[in-house]
Amino acid sequence: MTVRRDNKGSIIIEGDCGAEDAETLLQMLLATPSVPVDWAGCGELHTAVVQVILAAKPKLMGTCGDPWLRPWVPAPARSSPD
Amino acid sequence: MTPLHEQFVAESRELVLQASDDLIALERDGFDTERIDRILRAFHTLKGSAGVVRLPAMSLTLHAAEDVMIAIQNAQLLAGSVVISEMLNSLDQVSQWVDTFESTEALPANAGEDARVIAERLRHHLSSKVESAAMTSAAGEFPEWASRLVQSLGGEASGLETSGSQSLFAILYEPHAGCFYDGDDPLRLLRKIPNLLKLQMAIPGPELALSDLDPFACRLRLEALAKGTRLELSTIFQSVPDQVRIVDVPPEAFPAGTQQSKERDNALVRAVVAEQREVLRVTDRSEIIAGSLGAAARAAAGALRHGLREDLAERVARAGAAAIADRNAAPLDAALGEALEQLTPGPRRNGPADPTSSPAGAKGSDTESPASRSLRVDESRIESLVNLAGELIVLKNSFGHLAKRIEDEKGSRDLIRAARHEYDGIERLAGDMQRAVLQLRMIPFAQVLRPLPRLVRDLSQRLGKKARLVTNGETTESDKTVVDRLFEPLLHLVRNALDHGIESPEERTAAGKDATATLTIEASRAGDRIIVDVIDDGRGIDPAVVRQKAIEKGLLTQETATALSDEKILEVIFSAGFSTAAEASDISGRGVGMDVVRTSIEQIGGRVTFDSHVGKGTRVRLDVPMNIATSRIMVVECAGQAFGIPMDHVVETVRLTPDRIREIKNNEGFVLRDRVVPICSLAELMNLPRAAGDRRESRLVMVADTGNKVAAVEIDAIRDRLDVVLKPMQGVLANAHGYAGTTLLGDGAVLLVVDLKEVLP
Repeated sequence: MTVRRDNKGSIIIEGDCGAEDAETLLQMLLATPSVPVDWAGCGELHTAVVQVILAAKPKLMGTCGDPWLRPWVPAPARSSPD
Repeated sequence: MTPLHEQFVAESRELVLQASDDLIALERDGFDTERIDRILRAFHTLKGSAGVVRLPAMSLTLHAAEDVMIAIQNAQLLAGSVVISEMLNSLDQVSQWVDTFESTEALPANAGEDARVIAERLRHHLSSKVESAAMTSAAGEFPEWASRLVQSLGGEASGLETSGSQSLFAILYEPHAGCFYDGDDPLRLLRKIPNLLKLQMAIPGPELALSDLDPFACRLRLEALAKGTRLELSTIFQSVPDQVRIVDVPPEAFPAGTQQSKERDNALVRAVVAEQREVLRVTDRSEIIAGSLGAAARAAAGALRHGLREDLAERVARAGAAAIADRNAAPLDAALGEALEQLTPGPRRNGPADPTSSPAGAKGSDTESPASRSLRVDESRIESLVNLAGELIVLKNSFGHLAKRIEDEKGSRDLIRAARHEYDGIERLAGDMQRAVLQLRMIPFAQVLRPLPRLVRDLSQRLGKKARLVTNGETTESDKTVVDRLFEPLLHLVRNALDHGIESPEERTAAGKDATATLTIEASRAGDRIIVDVIDDGRGIDPAVVRQKAIEKGLLTQETATALSDEKILEVIFSAGFSTAAEASDISGRGVGMDVVRTSIEQIGGRVTFDSHVGKGTRVRLDVPMNIATSRIMVVECAGQAFGIPMDHVVETVRLTPDRIREIKNNEGFVLRDRVVPICSLAELMNLPRAAGDRRESRLVMVADTGNKVAAVEIDAIRDRLDVVLKPMQGVLANAHGYAGTTLLGDGAVLLVVDLKEVLP
């Protein structure tokens, strides 16, 4: 499981994610649209996962953990409430 | 090869042929809605099945061809010969790919690149009015999205200088919605680009509620700028040529870009506007809001202006100013939302940039194949059935022999009658079965005619002649072997007719003929034979020219040539090495044509005859057996031995009373319907001692016609008439002269079947 919630309810993306993780992520975001998504620890993300992030536009915590993807995705949310 | 692949290969070949036929007919007969629909369906089905077996390059080509057909259907494009040639070429490429796929289960490495070139060439014919994918832009034109992408680099244009073989490319990647299911990961492909300068990801179309998002459907539009070589990039995207467009970025494009292109990229404008709206949502801190508002309003207005929506740009700019004054993002947000709505072409549409949304895509459901219900069976299976049926016939014959023996040995009357009865039953059933099995191999003559319209079209264009092909009797059925074997001879005959027979339009007009020549191919059935006529209304064959040529080529001496009648001299055309063409062209005239025609037709037990009238035309007639799996033979006896004689050479059998036989020089002959027929003894022909029969007794002869000679062959008795499977001479006998083959008789004896053509003096 590379998409999970921490004890505060935030969504954590860790490690490489496959297409199937997109659905998990989407379900979590639909359940709690306002919780931040921490992707600082993520590895290579499948296009499907990136698509969910682009569509849902969640609050993102930390810079994207996938260095290749980092320049092309939304910058870390400076506005994320800590 | 999986069954799916086999089916794909077979079906594709059929569709390619059918589409080629229809394209040629379309060019010849002009606009025809039904025909265009049929071509469109063929292209659509081909494209679909290429997708199923995952040959994206093929789909790409066919998609472009389909677009051309749609333009023709909508009367936006005229189906002129240039367009038709282009379409036919693309079909040629497709059939080449199908061949490659059949042998290697894959397309050649450069298929994607070839497909793109063909697709571009095809789309080049489409007028700019035809709304299609962003790919529609003709080669050489720098598309809008690319110029936008280059400009978006703006100040950070540092990495743009290209060096050496590396150049700058803009890449537009619109993955298929179902690509995730196919195991594709578009970003993974992009990751392989060694020198990626820019990547923009957007979800075009109306903004979607998150609950409506299908996480397994790819809706992304990816735009990228990369440095490298085209080969490098096209190798990376080899598997998705239909979804990716790679464009050279010319040096003049990257400082400011060309803004002249009329193509609007709504999707991108929408993406930019939506992005600004998003910026407003995340930057909710009061200290940065003023700057963000101004930037967002400017960016959105700029994009809208670029998209030629001056009205919306104006509104957004005004809302932006109001928002800054109020330090409140709401008015700008509202204006951006409205702009987005206005830009959205329709509810739940993928946007105009989606190539799959072409009109034909919507027709998917009504494209049921009109093909007749048929079952595809491997030829080898039918072959084995034919062989089994053949063996059954042999067995039946031996049962007949057995029945006779029971009769001879004076068994009980009941037993004899029962055996006879059963034998009749078996004979009937075996016969029925063999006919049914042979029927399986019957295919319509139309198959051999299929490539000819294309050949006639291409050849006559190349030769500067006008010719119309008329075909009759396409439904005449014949054994597959025969139909297949007819193809090459027909090809030669059609070539010959076009090259030598048919005159140039000027010559024809001068001779008072229609400038367009008519080439007719007619197939008909006569008993168990198929007659194929190839008739042209050209200049005919001049016996004088043939005579002279034959002497020049050393085929005949001056004396023989002069002695031969006009009718006979034409036969020389069939000699090896004869050609009337003054110069050998690449079409025909190498002096092999007619020779090959005769040889291959005779190999399947057929005959070639022709008649020609100077100034009026030539008719070549091919007379072939309907099936060659079994032959009907006569079992005859001479000098105590049995021989088989193929029935197709036997005209009749005659019992001659001594008074009818005349001595002519050293030979004997008799008059049959005003014609003197020489008599020769089969025993003599076979080098067997001839029984010294009583000269006063009547003698039995069979009159044989081998096409070029008629003779009466004397035999001692006729034993039987049989349907047999003729086996060619094998092993040490393979080269034995005078035999057509062997067959097994009911009593297990091997019967030699004589080839009368070879043995008759």
